[in-house]
Amino acid sequence: MSRSPQAVALFIVWSLVLALLGWYVQRELVVSTDMRLFLPTPTTPTQHLLLEEIGEGPASRVLVMALAGAAPETLADASRQLVEELQKSPQFGFVTNGEMSLDTVPDELWPYRFLLSPALDKHRLDTPYLHAQLQARMRDLSSPAGVFFEPILPRDPTLELLNVLQNWQPMQEPNRQFDVWFDRAGARALLLAQTRAAAFDPDQQRLAVDAVNRAFAAVNANGHLELTLSGAGAFSVLMKGRTQDEAQTLGTAATVGMILLLLIAYRSVGSLILSTLPLASAGIAGLVAVSSVFGEVHGITLAFGFTLIGVAQDYPLHLLSHRRPGQPLLELVRELWPTLATGMASTCIAYLSFLFSGVIGLAQLACFTMAGLAMAGLTTRFLLPRVMDTHGRDTGQSAWLDRIWRCIASLPRPRWAAPLIVLLCLAVTVWAPQPMWENDLGTLTPVPRDLLLRDQELRSQLGTPDIRYMLVLNVHDDEQALRRLEQLDAPLQKLIKRGAITGYDHAARYVPAAATQLARRQQLPDETTLRTALRAALVGSSFREGVFEPFISEVQQARQLPPLTVEQLRASPLGSSLEMLLSRRGDRSMALVTFSGVKDAKALETLIDTTVQDAVLLDLKAASLSLVAQQRTRILWSLLISAVLLTGVIAFSLRSAARVRRVLTPMLLTTTITIALLQAAGVSLSLFHLIALMLAAGLGLDYALFFEHAADDPYEQRRTLHAVLVSSLSTLMVFVVLSTSQLPVMQAMGVTVSLGVIFNFVLALLLTRPEAGREK
Amino acid sequence: MRLIGGWLLSAFATTPLLCAPATGSAVPVAVQPENQPGTQTGTETGTHQIGDQTDQLIRSLTRPAPASIAFTEVRLSPLLQEPLIVSGELGYSGPASLDRRVMHPYRELTTVRGESVRVEREGEPVRSFALKRAPELRGLLSGFSALLTGDTASLRRNFDISSRLESDDWAITMTPTDAKARRRIKQLSATGHDTEPRCFTLTIADGGSSVMLLGDASKQTIPTQATAEQLDALCNKPLQP
Repeated sequence: MSRSPQAVALFIVWSLVLALLGWYVQRELVVSTDMRLFLPTPTTPTQHLLLEEIGEGPASRVLVMALAGAAPETLADASRQLVEELQKSPQFGFVTNGEMSLDTVPDELWPYRFLLSPALDKHRLDTPYLHAQLQARMRDLSSPAGVFFEPILPRDPTLELLNVLQNWQPMQEPNRQFDVWFDRAGARALLLAQTRAAAFDPDQQRLAVDAVNRAFAAVNANGHLELTLSGAGAFSVLMKGRTQDEAQTLGTAATVGMILLLLIAYRSVGSLILSTLPLASAGIAGLVAVSSVFGEVHGITLAFGFTLIGVAQDYPLHLLSHRRPGQPLLELVRELWPTLATGMASTCIAYLSFLFSGVIGLAQLACFTMAGLAMAGLTTRFLLPRVMDTHGRDTGQSAWLDRIWRCIASLPRPRWAAPLIVLLCLAVTVWAPQPMWENDLGTLTPVPRDLLLRDQELRSQLGTPDIRYMLVLNVHDDEQALRRLEQLDAPLQKLIKRGAITGYDHAARYVPAAATQLARRQQLPDETTLRTALRAALVGSSFREGVFEPFISEVQQARQLPPLTVEQLRASPLGSSLEMLLSRRGDRSMALVTFSGVKDAKALETLIDTTVQDAVLLDLKAASLSLVAQQRTRILWSLLISAVLLTGVIAFSLRSAARVRRVLTPMLLTTTITIALLQAAGVSLSLFHLIALMLAAGLGLDYALFFEHAADDPYEQRRTLHAVLVSSLSTLMVFVVLSTSQLPVMQAMGVTVSLGVIFNFVLALLLTRPEAGREK
Repeated sequence: MRLIGGWLLSAFATTPLLCAPATGSAVPVAVQPENQPGTQTGTETGTHQIGDQTDQLIRSLTRPAPASIAFTEVRLSPLLQEPLIVSGELGYSGPASLDRRVMHPYRELTTVRGESVRVEREGEPVRSFALKRAPELRGLLSGFSALLTGDTASLRRNFDISSRLESDDWAITMTPTDAKARRRIKQLSATGHDTEPRCFTLTIADGGSSVMLLGDASKQTIPTQATAEQLDALCNKPLQP
């Protein structure tokens, strides 16, 4: 090897700088996992709510658990133990299997039962009511339930607190066996747990899932039980694991393949190592750029970013393939630079459109790729020639490349075919049965379909709120909201009777409006009246006089109480369900009504239009579809603008309409064909297909530019053929590996780019190669 | 009659973890007074010297399902000026399932299945609750279940046990070892003659108690103002000449 000392020194410095920067960047790197960075930026309040719901809403934070594998009684016991275990875990806001417990009610909330219980709207605390209640309590006392009731009887002889708790249960009560929730078949015990962490936070969700598994292991000592854990959080953990495993396997396969290919192509370990330096520089430049602009990097940006800057690997390959004896590399790189720079600039311009897409994740991706590609181009131009060995194999001398080239030269140049292909593709796209675009955010999820179906099934068994429809009430303050919600009760009950919905939930079910509470308070008897009534009620009962003093004093206490506020209840262990149902937005209050079992959305809509002011019925599915569609329009427009800019750059660089046409045609044709093939295969295009198409277009542009550049000289043609062959083969290999992925997004990318590479290469050869007559 | 004693204890074996298979431990050993040292004078064994006597006694009570027995339950509570008295029938159909059917003075059916208790009463909504919510009841059940399965090791872990035996009359007394449990339950006791149980008594720490007279004993007339002492006398009658 004949490397000058300067070259060696430069190599060492370059590697050291990379290593240092790499170490620093990875230490400072903040990786975000919030999926919403890859969702469109919301513009309407509905869309804001939608995104909040997706990431942090109660529905998304709820994990559903199902226990199976034993007799119902055993399952019920296990369910209880599991709740007990999980309640100790700091990961969960609440855990429930449907069992009610008076123990969870803080002492200071006890007197409020007289203001909260709807039973007291029908009865007063008078002699007949108290008498009936005391008779019932005597029977309770001599039943085995007596031991349970005895301690609370002096305080609560009417069991008012139990009434309140009963009223707080979901309206559409899940099936119960042995006091705990079961599925309709009675084969699985069901539990709910709400994590404190947001659904998109896989690290926190991991802790929650671990806690569940630990608790289950403790419960399932003899190993007969089976636990099914489902929910957004569980999925995000599952998917993170799967993605990492798969990324590792696929990454290793692709890397090994790439190394083999480059060794075969260049037969030099030194060249191989050197050729990775621009790529490494690109990666670090990308990370630095994104970190400094956005402050954090999304995990997906990292994954996709490194895939996208893989194009940069082509730059040093061109340099290696074009080496010829006797020519200093610096001179060679000066020759190649215009072509290289045009390719680089046009690819960067294409990514520019993502920068203005309104999707933060895509903007990060664009920033990463542009910085990376620029760095790769610049290091290939200015650093690589200075460290690389001048003497390499001249691929221009290769006999087999010459044969291939002659073969190719004799191929027809089916220019006439282009319009035909375009027409055919358009026809396929138009007549493909599925919609051209995928608007459903749900399809972006990498979660396998059967898991999603099972999740839905469990949720419907539990009667958890329907996530699609929701009523939003936007009013001045909490009290106004609660009053409006109470007004909704009667019409909503009618809807339940008509079967339009099976249940609903809102904040006023937990905390009645102050007016209602005050009205109940008004009904409470004063001490003398209550004593008289109680004394009369005790006649004919076995209860001792005087045992109900605590009851009398709590009623008197309740008469002095200010109405219970939402904040008070929210601050107690009972308030977890209130959290999302009523919240402050700026100086207004926003209340939600959730529904379960919506069968007649029209009836719901009509009701809301006619009975409540300031309320909107949200169809979150419609909101998400419109959000995606709206966003795509924006991305397509910015793509169009970049296409114009890109043509401008190429025109400026090539300065000939014919050359521009020859360079652009293969790329445009490839994009059309790829879209048509995907459509023919029944695939609707999503955001990720667009990213993949962009990547393929960038690659195609490079191929065409180099073929165009090599037009005249046969040796040069062979060298170009070698360079493009190696780089397209290596890219193809990586993306074919990717298309075997289990994750829909990765697979979409893999298939799309693979198709793109093949067509770009073939079409660039057919349409951009020089005229046979011009060959010397 | 031995049958009855066994199944009743089994009836309380509602804690599956503590409960052996229904037929597994059912090897009755008759308590024959002549086999017992000192039976002529009556014996007492304390916690620390439980001899063969208690073990044999306990084992003799082990019996499989199904069966039924009449009962009269007298509930005493500091909340009450006079005891509540109900009578009916107890049915036992498996290790963790007990039916308590009240026939007088009103009708009510209580079913205990595993950890869950369900109370149905004429004209009222069904009420159900978990054993875990009623530590007294759970203590009672776990104590009896251990007693039933002859699991003296488990019994000794949870209770201080003593037994008395005089002629064919016996009494087993169990006091929870756990201080927390002792806050609610003072004592559990079972008395009987030969292998026929006469009473199960749960003494609650607040001064209340529940005395369940069984079989023939349930047919006696209970004075409406019965006191704990009177009931105790009824349950231990033959022991007190």
